[in-house]
Amino acid sequence: MRILRYTFVLCLLAAISYGQAEPEKKLKPKRTDNFIRMKGIRVGVDVTRPFQDVWTKGNRYGSEFTFDMEIRPNLFPTFESGYELMKVNTDYINYTGKGSYSRFGIDYNLLQAEHKNDKDIFFIGLRYGFTIAKQQVDQYIVDSYWGTETGRYASQNFFAHWGEFLIGMKGEIFQNFFMGWTIRGKVRMRQKDLGMPPVYFIPGFGKADNKFNLDFTYSVYYNIPWDFRKSSGDKKIEIQK
Amino acid sequence: MACEEVYLLPPQALIQASFLNSETGKAISPEITVWGIGLENLWVKDSVLNAILLPLSVNDTTSYLISFDSVIDTVTFIHETTKKYESMETGFYYEYQLQSIDFTNNRIDSIQILDSLVTKTWNENITLYLRPLSAGGN
Repeated sequence: MRILRYTFVLCLLAAISYGQAEPEKKLKPKRTDNFIRMKGIRVGVDVTRPFQDVWTKGNRYGSEFTFDMEIRPNLFPTFESGYELMKVNTDYINYTGKGSYSRFGIDYNLLQAEHKNDKDIFFIGLRYGFTIAKQQVDQYIVDSYWGTETGRYASQNFFAHWGEFLIGMKGEIFQNFFMGWTIRGKVRMRQKDLGMPPVYFIPGFGKADNKFNLDFTYSVYYNIPWDFRKSSGDKKIEIQK
Repeated sequence: MACEEVYLLPPQALIQASFLNSETGKAISPEITVWGIGLENLWVKDSVLNAILLPLSVNDTTSYLISFDSVIDTVTFIHETTKKYESMETGFYYEYQLQSIDFTNNRIDSIQILDSLVTKTWNENITLYLRPLSAGGN
């Protein structure tokens, strides 16, 4: 009985609120931080790449460097480049895939700066990544009642590319020193079929079997405090003289 | 240092054969022993079975001696062999396409190919029709 009464009251309240006029929509205030907060180029190194072995199957190692700068307020064009190696050694197969990769794209900062020296950012971004890599099967073994068959596949070179959408943050821990994480959703684009064996590992992307890979990176950065805009401005003044 | 990783074994494509009485068409379970010609190890020893799984070799022919209740026949499978990739973690394996089967007629009356494709998904590929033993066994 009590439940019925409460249900009736709730329905009544819903009906009343439906009938009321919609409250006036609040307009989002325009960003007030339309200024360059980070002068110069920021250089970073991904500290997770050498330890991927811990959370991936097989032995995966690598290194990655990043470069970004604030070209317009809150817009950070980014270039990332690295090298990765993947080894799988089981009783039946010895595989190696390796290569260098690069990504370029842009990050957009969503976090409004509280003051001119507030360089912390929370961003979303897009990347285009590509690699020129190679793989080889040093040995494979097929065991059967009829005997053991061994073989190998020589080195195969391949090109692969993918797109990434990402979300992350970078915080200034000391003057010009930053740390930050990024979560990356990677979508593989079409690639040439190598035949046998197919591509297994794409440096910078991950396992080629998957059309979509999720990745996490954590980097430390140093912002080279060189204000190239100021320098170029000075030059102009000199020419005018 | 990563934990010790566990990998699956590569799959195996095995030919599946069942046994039927050539006169009644009913399933029978003879005591069988199977060994590959040229090999020392037996594949199956003195087992009472109504069906059997047999591995094929990477060559284009695979020959077995099969003893059905102590009556021995030779069965030779002529097949095409194709190497298959399972994954870089489990490795490679072979699949087969049966072309024909040669056999002796000591106990085997006939062989019917039901599915010539021998893959990692095992299913009934052939039926062996065996003559009944004169002593009134199977």
